[in-house]
Amino acid sequence: MSTQEFLFLYVAILATMAVWRCAPILLLRGRQLPERMESALGLIPSAAFAALVANDLIQPATLTSDPVAALVPLVAAAIVFIVARKTKSLVLCAVVGMVCYGALVYLAG
Amino acid sequence: MVLGYLTIGLPCGVMGASVGLKPWMCLLLSATFYSGAGQFMIPSMWAAGSPVAAIAASVALVSSRQALYSAAFAPYVKKASKFQTILFALFVTDESFGVNLDLFARGVDWTVAHATVTNLVCMASWALANLAGALLGSVVSLPVAILSFGMTAIFICLLAGQEESRSNVIAALGAVAGVVVCKLAGLSNVAILVGALVGVCAGLAFRGVTRH
Repeated sequence: MSTQEFLFLYVAILATMAVWRCAPILLLRGRQLPERMESALGLIPSAAFAALVANDLIQPATLTSDPVAALVPLVAAAIVFIVARKTKSLVLCAVVGMVCYGALVYLAG
Repeated sequence: MVLGYLTIGLPCGVMGASVGLKPWMCLLLSATFYSGAGQFMIPSMWAAGSPVAAIAASVALVSSRQALYSAAFAPYVKKASKFQTILFALFVTDESFGVNLDLFARGVDWTVAHATVTNLVCMASWALANLAGALLGSVVSLPVAILSFGMTAIFICLLAGQEESRSNVIAALGAVAGVVVCKLAGLSNVAILVGALVGVCAGLAFRGVTRH
């Protein structure tokens, strides 16, 4: 990628990201929001985290072509979930997750 | 989080270098744009021959979920100045969103200043890891899939720590369903945003139904 191409790409995505990150918070802050909107904002964390996890774990194409490989992240995720509920530790979950995932990938061949 | 960024930032920098991004480009991207999903997408799409405009559009679309994070923080920045709010908002990403929102919601003594410092420390670790990866180039071989599962594990931990209410569970299930449908429809780029929006709507609908 040339410097010119990079700079074009960089300016475009940076400007968009600045809008995504700043516009909603600046528009909504300090306002008395309707109850329904406050309720919706309160649901964002659960919905967003679930979407992020599902996006990483669920690969429909892999599920049909290689079911064992598709199950590996799901099994590792279940173990991480148990560790998360018991310890609430981000670092421990990350380490356990990587170790379990690596071990399962190795076992699945 | 810093540990996670260090482990994922290295392969991200390596991938960037593999398609011709110079170390200063990787550092600039990581320190300002600061998005793992977007930064992994750029070298992948470039290597696949996508034109720059298409890469920009796709990355912008994938990044749209940041708008939801931004909205979620609005109730907690009422006392902060506009400058403080912008400085904080510019460096929010998936993981710091989860940790900061959790701390704000718990009602502990967590201010916008604390949250901004958290964001900047995370960004710095991400940027330095990317720079290191770009400098190391192909010298090291890193198990990217295993390292990236570390980030997935962090999201699982944040999800597991949410308040155990039925509406939150419905929202989470709705989000999963939304992601699955998007992926089946070939709309992976917007799966996270659509999934999250479906989840929020599902949670709201559940609250509306149970209230009546």
